[in-house]
Amino acid sequence: MSTYTVHVTIENKPGINDPEGETILNDLVLKGNYSSVTKIRSAKMLKFTIKEKDKKSAEKKVRKLCDELRIYNPMVSQITVDVF
Amino acid sequence: MSLEKQEYEYLEKKIGRKPTKTELNIVAAEWSEHCSYKSSKKHLKTLPMKGPRVISEKGFDSGVLDVGDDYIVTVHIESHNHPSAVEPYGGAATGVGGVIRDIISAGTRPIAILDGLRFGNIEKDPHARWLFKNAVTGIADYGNCIGIPTVGGEVEFDDCYSNYALVDVASIGFGKKDRLIKNTAQKGDLVVLLGGSTGRDGIGGSQFASDSLESENRSAVQIPDPFIEKLIIEAVLEARNQKCIKAVKDLGGGGLSCAISETADSLSIGIELDVDSVHTREPGMSPDEIMISESQERMLIITDKTKLETLQDICKKFHVQCSVIGTVKDNKMMHVKKEKNTLALLPANVVANAPLLDRPTKKPAYLKEIQNEKKLKQSSNLSLVLLKLLSSPNLASKRWVYGQYDHEVGIRTVIKPGYDAAVLRLDNGKFLAVKIDGNPKHCYIDPRHGAIGCFEEACRNVVCTGAKPIGMVDHLQFGNPEDPEIFWTFIEALKGLADFAKHFDIPCVGGKVSFYNETPKGPIKPTPVIGVLGLIDKKPLHTSASKGDVLILVGKTKNELGGSEYFEYIHGFVGGTCPKVDFKESKENMDAVLALFKKDLIKGAHDCSKGGLAVAVSELCMQNNVGCKVSLEKIPREKLSHDLLLFSESHSRYLLVAQKQNLVQIQKILSQSNVSYDVIGSFEGDQIQFKTDSANIIDLSVDKVQKRWLRSLEDLVLHG
Repeated sequence: MSTYTVHVTIENKPGINDPEGETILNDLVLKGNYSSVTKIRSAKMLKFTIKEKDKKSAEKKVRKLCDELRIYNPMVSQITVDVF
Repeated sequence: MSLEKQEYEYLEKKIGRKPTKTELNIVAAEWSEHCSYKSSKKHLKTLPMKGPRVISEKGFDSGVLDVGDDYIVTVHIESHNHPSAVEPYGGAATGVGGVIRDIISAGTRPIAILDGLRFGNIEKDPHARWLFKNAVTGIADYGNCIGIPTVGGEVEFDDCYSNYALVDVASIGFGKKDRLIKNTAQKGDLVVLLGGSTGRDGIGGSQFASDSLESENRSAVQIPDPFIEKLIIEAVLEARNQKCIKAVKDLGGGGLSCAISETADSLSIGIELDVDSVHTREPGMSPDEIMISESQERMLIITDKTKLETLQDICKKFHVQCSVIGTVKDNKMMHVKKEKNTLALLPANVVANAPLLDRPTKKPAYLKEIQNEKKLKQSSNLSLVLLKLLSSPNLASKRWVYGQYDHEVGIRTVIKPGYDAAVLRLDNGKFLAVKIDGNPKHCYIDPRHGAIGCFEEACRNVVCTGAKPIGMVDHLQFGNPEDPEIFWTFIEALKGLADFAKHFDIPCVGGKVSFYNETPKGPIKPTPVIGVLGLIDKKPLHTSASKGDVLILVGKTKNELGGSEYFEYIHGFVGGTCPKVDFKESKENMDAVLALFKKDLIKGAHDCSKGGLAVAVSELCMQNNVGCKVSLEKIPREKLSHDLLLFSESHSRYLLVAQKQNLVQIQKILSQSNVSYDVIGSFEGDQIQFKTDSANIIDLSVDKVQKRWLRSLEDLVLHG
């Protein structure tokens, strides 16, 4: 058993509106004259610390719990899982 | 996206050629049940829609009522059931947004929101809990962000909503009569799209709402953006003040297709638009996608050429995007172009008026058996039964819900959530009482009398604040109308509502029909939700009770436990005799209560509804921290056993609180009005007691039940 850090990034699926990202882009970044920025998407990240036998099972376990416990709604959002 | 075969043939015949792909998409969106009301339109005409206070203009999305002194109140109700069932947070929130835009379409400022929420069994089903929690948060986040108070509503749980959600939202608007937008347009006027950008979200949403939910078909999700909505409210109201708006329509189900065709049809004009002018969120959207996208927070405005610059300035000031997408013609055609190419050219009245259907009806087989009552054993400990009922999800305090809503912003809310009806202060010194009510348990057993009961309950609730009902809105929610048995329940409920509305002269000023509410386990129970508005000329009645006051019950308690919380929650039995409203008795009781209120003789009024008399008395005690002794022998009634007397949900009953010194006068008025009534108890001590001459039937401490009543829902949601 070793300890792994698993990062789960939850964001709206591409094509689905993201008012938070748009607001940051339009009302902060562009007004601050960073005109080379063309898009901002907001996301939420959960950092799990988990004890598992290997990287693969750590990822699998976290994915499973995200699905089962409705950590995100698959209708709207998608998750990216990174294990460190 | 498709039309039925006969609809396709009808369209072809009407336009005399094969429709183009874009035309088919536009028509399919507009002819969906959700937008066209093709099953229900013929029957809805039976509801009375006129009255001395009702103002109707072409193309109004909301009902308008004259409240005197050159002020008007607007009201509208909608649901967002399908979207909320797959994404409760966004679905419920965008539901709030949609109904608010209907209110600003009339040129009035939204001043209140009410919502009716229904979910599956949250005690057993974690998914129902998830839906409930997120729908409430969605409403709270959206309503609180835009500064409109959520003043009331109702929450109910029933197994028939398993894996599903009913989210009904009603909104109230208020404004000056002379600022009402009259909706006119002349050739040469400009068509402007204002608000959020058009994206791929919600493509085919209204079609989706017109199909039963299937897991692979759950794509139409909309993301709420309350800040844009707030800017739109302010921009539209300022544009109204500066006379930039000749006509306005909210973009809801069916998107641009629906808004353009309905506006052109109702104003008898033509509209030519170029899809390239629509501001889009993502590149590469096809013209068809632009026409049927249901992106939220958008309004369609028709403005005079000379006013365009002012309108653009207003939009700039509020950081709201706006684009001129077309012009008004006099050919009554809906003309969609992409630069020089014509994509669709259809008569607006053909698009806006789907061929109506005559759906067959058949009395459902289950109704034959369901009125038969099973002999149930009366529980030996009725104190425990009452305690159990008061902490059940349907009857427990909904403080956990309305506590998340800002219900005071705008400082109009005089009577706040948690009482019979919410009361709002109007600028002309009068007060508006509002309430929405539904009761699927009654409606399942008897659709007609169940629906009448919901209507009467909403009336009773506004009467309890001293208001006289002046208008109603109905939201009729049923399963698949292609099933004759379901369609029968719809027709029956509608007939009941029409009868009651006519008898009481309460005009129906708006409403909505939502079909295809099907869960994996089958159709929902018939769920009409009725909203009633009442007007109070002087101060509203703010119910209070304290030691020494007397308790009077107006109205007869009958053997009507069918669909009651007592039968269903305590005994797990669905069936029995549904409570029926006796129109004559109902009117007499209502008038008598209002007469007492006018003479300032009562301190409070509370209606008996879900849970019956025992629950209603307990609510008075818990809200006022005072005990009450009720004598069961005194209750006006048919010959009934104790449990019937305590938990029967008979309609037309009011609990009145009064000071002892007014009792003689009250009794005189009630006797003269010929109503059944009696002084059934008095407020004293710290116990809720129901007794006969010889024994205590129920004896509970107010403290103890209050704790359970206030906390049980929150505990259930947060701790499972």
